[in-house]
Amino acid sequence: MYGRTACQLVKEFASGDKGQLVSFNSDLFQQVVAECSQHHLELQSLIRKIQEEGLDIQTARNADHYGALIHHLALVRNKRCLMAYVFNRAEIIRNLLWKIGHVLPQEIEEKLCHTEEEHFKKHSTALKSYMSKVMVDLTVDMVPPKDPYIKVRVLDDIGDGILLSDDKTANFACHSMHLLKRTDAEQFISRGQMEELTG
Amino acid sequence: MASSSGAEGESLDDYDSLIATTDVELLKRAWRNEKAAPEILRFESHLISRVKEQIQLMEETVEEKSSGGNDPLSVSLYQMDLDRTLFLLRSYLRIRIQKIEKYMFHILKTEELWNRLSKDEKDFARTCSSDLNQHLEETVLSKLPENYQSVLKQSIISEEDDMVPEPQLDTFVLCRSKEYLTGIQLEDGPADDRQFSSKLFEMERGVLHFICYKSIKALVESGKLDLL
Repeated sequence: MYGRTACQLVKEFASGDKGQLVSFNSDLFQQVVAECSQHHLELQSLIRKIQEEGLDIQTARNADHYGALIHHLALVRNKRCLMAYVFNRAEIIRNLLWKIGHVLPQEIEEKLCHTEEEHFKKHSTALKSYMSKVMVDLTVDMVPPKDPYIKVRVLDDIGDGILLSDDKTANFACHSMHLLKRTDAEQFISRGQMEELTG
Repeated sequence: MASSSGAEGESLDDYDSLIATTDVELLKRAWRNEKAAPEILRFESHLISRVKEQIQLMEETVEEKSSGGNDPLSVSLYQMDLDRTLFLLRSYLRIRIQKIEKYMFHILKTEELWNRLSKDEKDFARTCSSDLNQHLEETVLSKLPENYQSVLKQSIISEEDDMVPEPQLDTFVLCRSKEYLTGIQLEDGPADDRQFSSKLFEMERGVLHFICYKSIKALVESGKLDLL
């Protein structure tokens, strides 16, 4: 049935967790693209057939016309599915910038196709250039601040000698607890290297 | 941005209106509106540049106080105030950038929306959309038959751009009016029904309403109404 593969592709995207990526399904993707070319071939041959019969394409309403129409509509539908798949993935990828930062961890990067990686890098550059123009870092301060300092526990051995904003260095050994400036801690929290202790 | 709130002239009212016109408070309002509105609003360029100056001033004050060996409590209070203002500014700019990311093609081709962006945002939107364009082109469009390669149109026979995601303006928003408003056209119900009943809606000052964004769009833009 026409359009089923494309529908599968979109369904696969839609059934995933919101904001989570699954690997780019290039297999299914190629199938849909191939289906598109097939539709186009059939569409053209039908149009040729109408022309050979000496009919006007604009006004002819015979079986071939409707056949061609079906192929056209199937193609358009496939295109919409492909675009929706790529467009929505691109949206998630751009959102990763806000959630994780400018460097993607390995396990996410593996799920992207080549052009998606490119897109992420380019978008990250665009965002950086905007932030440098307005001179405000937009990737910190994601939640409204209650206190300038927060209590955190280090989850990963980050090491010592890390410079904080008040020109002091700190030793972030694994499992140690610190009272840090929120803006200092936020980058570590978003990378999963620290957790905020509440209560 | 009139602050003529109370005719009684009570001192409390004066104080309220004074507080309500500080830049931080104005920023808070702009931020709230931006956050609640489904589409991008006009960039508050004057306000933002004033706020940036004030933030700089505050940063200097904090630095001065903390190096001057002042008592740490007052420094941390200043710092907190600064942090909060910074958060508002960041969040305001961030929401706008995220809206641009989401609807860049729509904003780029709609002049009214395009003119609402700041210069830097325009630059960002331009690079951003050309990046996405290239991404879509390389991944999908270049592999499709030639009459189907447009980003904005489904195929060459579409007369309008029918593949551009637009913000949904008929969602519902919470709002509060600053003054008595009347003659608000409610845009619900079928078209012919609307003509016949032609309900005009009025709003008292300070009363909360839950209403379709489309029908109060103009009022939000002119600043007579605040979104929440």
